[in-house]
Amino acid sequence: MPQPLNSKEQALFRLVVRSYEDKQYKKGVKTADQILKKFPKHGDTMAMKALILNAQGRTEEAFALGKEALTADMKSHVCWHVYGLLYRAAKNFEEASKAYKFALKLEPESAQIQRDLAVLQVQMRDYPGYIQSRRAMLQARPQIRQNWTALSIAYHLDGNLTEAEKVLSAYEGTLKQTPSRLDLEHSESVMYKNSLIAEQGEYQKALDHLEDAAKYNLDRLAVMEARAEYLQKLGRNEEAAKAYRALLDRNPDHQAYYEKLTQALGISDDDVKARKAIYDEYAAKFPRCDAARRLPLDFLSGDEFEEAAESYLTLMLNKGVPSTFANLKHLYSDDFKKEVLPELAENYLESQGADASSKDKGEAAALYFLAQHYNYRLSRDLDQADEYVNKAIEKDPKSVDYNMTKARILKHRGDIKKAAEAMDYARTLDLRDRYINSKAAKYHLRNNDNEKALKTVGLFTRADTVGGPLVDLLDMQCVWFLTEDGEAYARRGNTGLALKRLQAVANIFDVWQEDQFDFHTFSLRKGQIRAYVDMIRWEDHIRDHPFYSRAALAAINIYLDLAAKPAENGVNGEDTDEALAKKKAAKKAKKEQQRLEREAAEKQAKQDPNKASSSQTDEVKKKDDDPLGLKLAATEDPLGDAVKLLAPLLQVCPKSLEAQHAGFEVYLLRGKYILALRCLRAAIEIDPSSPKVHEQTIAFRHALNHATDLPAKVLEVLKEEFKAIEPSEDLKKVNDAFQAKHKSSPPHQLAALRAQHILGEDKARTNKEVLALLELPEIEFAHALEALELLQKWRSSEIETFRKAAIAKWPQVTRLE
Amino acid sequence: MADQQPTTADTEDERNTAAKSAEDRKAASALANLDSSSSSAAAAATPAPAVDHEAVTKAMKNLGGLGSGSGTRRNVKVDPADVALLVDQLDMTRPRATEFLKSHDGDAVTAMRAYITA
Repeated sequence: MPQPLNSKEQALFRLVVRSYEDKQYKKGVKTADQILKKFPKHGDTMAMKALILNAQGRTEEAFALGKEALTADMKSHVCWHVYGLLYRAAKNFEEASKAYKFALKLEPESAQIQRDLAVLQVQMRDYPGYIQSRRAMLQARPQIRQNWTALSIAYHLDGNLTEAEKVLSAYEGTLKQTPSRLDLEHSESVMYKNSLIAEQGEYQKALDHLEDAAKYNLDRLAVMEARAEYLQKLGRNEEAAKAYRALLDRNPDHQAYYEKLTQALGISDDDVKARKAIYDEYAAKFPRCDAARRLPLDFLSGDEFEEAAESYLTLMLNKGVPSTFANLKHLYSDDFKKEVLPELAENYLESQGADASSKDKGEAAALYFLAQHYNYRLSRDLDQADEYVNKAIEKDPKSVDYNMTKARILKHRGDIKKAAEAMDYARTLDLRDRYINSKAAKYHLRNNDNEKALKTVGLFTRADTVGGPLVDLLDMQCVWFLTEDGEAYARRGNTGLALKRLQAVANIFDVWQEDQFDFHTFSLRKGQIRAYVDMIRWEDHIRDHPFYSRAALAAINIYLDLAAKPAENGVNGEDTDEALAKKKAAKKAKKEQQRLEREAAEKQAKQDPNKASSSQTDEVKKKDDDPLGLKLAATEDPLGDAVKLLAPLLQVCPKSLEAQHAGFEVYLLRGKYILALRCLRAAIEIDPSSPKVHEQTIAFRHALNHATDLPAKVLEVLKEEFKAIEPSEDLKKVNDAFQAKHKSSPPHQLAALRAQHILGEDKARTNKEVLALLELPEIEFAHALEALELLQKWRSSEIETFRKAAIAKWPQVTRLE
Repeated sequence: MADQQPTTADTEDERNTAAKSAEDRKAASALANLDSSSSSAAAAATPAPAVDHEAVTKAMKNLGGLGSGSGTRRNVKVDPADVALLVDQLDMTRPRATEFLKSHDGDAVTAMRAYITA
């Protein structure tokens, strides 16, 4: 039963609420206890206390107390609201929304609960629910513009454009006079409405609206771009061309404007001369404009290309623009251009006009260009690259750029160790350059030197961060470092730290998704709604970013190894070496952890006592109870953990071959045949010739042939949907045929060998064939590394023989050692 | 997660009993005013100039009733065993598996086949 408090306690209760809002948690708990002493069953006070406990990181206690509060006073909307907030903090949005809804039923007038519910609904993408909430909020306060805009957005997100537009128009109809031109909220709203009209395909109406309502809009660029687009869509080409010319006068470096202008002028793609003329016109008009000179190189060919490329290259090299090669390398997909560009650079070098004395212009720039050319994937000749870069370094031994390129050449040779040294040397040439500092750190990581890498990046992190540079990098969400650090630990066999870092990357993506919460209200308050809608759409596919897939795939591979290991240990029963090494590593890790704890304790003791108390009371930072990732590595269910990373990956990038391959492996090991087959079929769709497809098809048929007690319905589905290899076929023969067919391709051979292992082919034969790989004319050291990894995974007796042979072939490749 | 499961079961019961008596709700709303004071003050502080109240209310009415856009769902019976099969084989949640089965006329085999190629 809810208990009314007398005035003294009422005041105290208000104090509890205020303490919570001001984050004075200790005080809040104390005050709450004061009330509870007198009214031990006061639900609202208990609820508030639970909320504060949760904010202090005592989640379990908070939930227990929150529930107790509900039993004490189950008709209090405060208790239900708090219960929802607790679930919300624990990211259980389903339950949170249920609790909010119930609180709202008890107290339909509460704007606060309604707002919390609405925010949760849009976060969960429950658009129909969001529309309902927004409607209720509008009904409660129709005089606030925000509420109208919000309802419109809700309809828009739900895909109902007409209704969204109607809501905005309804509000505009109530305005007695047009708001001032400087009213940002109005200005944004008008442009938003305009985009809604255009999205419905009504360009004439959108254009009229634009010229009428948005005539003096504050966002000039958006108005101009929209106007040009509508004119073009309406076929009013002359005006569209004029509009695009106006845009080009504002920004002559925007590629899309040139293309649209060409279209509006009715110039066909084949009419290269006319197209070039447009660019020439702007190149003459804006002497410092790069796009007008560079973009024609994309579509010119033959002599015209050569001519244009020569003048562009000469200009850039004379100026000594360091990014010249980076700006042109996309042309290399065209074989002719790939041949012409280095020729031009060499001609330039031989001509007398080039500045021979400068350190970064003329000859030096041309040498630098050529060094990068021969280092580039599509035109690689590392000896030539070396020659050119050394000549460039001769001109300026202290150049960061030249030395950096030298390090990259070494990396491509496989000599990671020397590459790291060279990059570090480049770093010392300009200690204040953050770019080269990061680069050096990355090369240390490639060389599996995590400690030196951390020290190097640590030169640029905030010096006073408690916990050192790594904590700062985590705070700053430095994804590249965490990924490379994790991959390096994985190569070193430190599963714990590898998973720790890679999971940290996955967590950062969670945080980015979580960050939206702030914007649901903030963007509306600020009136920046077009950007807000863009953000919502972007968040919907945030995990298709390559950063996520790279970290997730690396972690999934580790989990796959973890899942495969116990089984193999059981079969072999021996591997004393590895077990011993593992024990040693575990011992070392434990010591390390103890050391860290000791250090942390010392640090805390050393801290200024006054400072310490202030930081402790308010924001108790959650302590990391697993700094070395030992718990992560000791997971009971590695495949379950892998699925958590895999599911979003398969959802947002179904077109990624690696994701589908990884998905197959995980699902097959888990015995989820249907899901495995789904991945396999998707992979076949993407690239039927991928060597992995062959290997996995064999693995799948093999697994099916040996699978027992599958449900009848599953069997039926598999029989209908998997016909790549019939059950009666001899898999070993199929594999041999594949091997013979792709005799000279190392990746295909590796796939066939892996399939042999799966099928339980004679080990001696597989080993022999792995060794034979080294004789293939097309083999590169990357393949050899892969083969070596395979042998290690299989605990083959031939590891050392293979390693020796490979080192003899590629003495410089450090990873073979 | 594990300890949250039982609580949801409890809340279901509480909800049913709670909604019944209106009197209790009143008492609760009295308490509510305790903490809502700050939020209403904040709302009052936001100025709403140049807004014609009458016009706004009229516009509200013109917006029309709630769009009941929920499509008519066919009533398809599904076998719980099939739901369990889909939950296990396709790593789905129970509601999603039920929904998915329903959209394939409750036939587990067609549903799974469709999922493979989806």
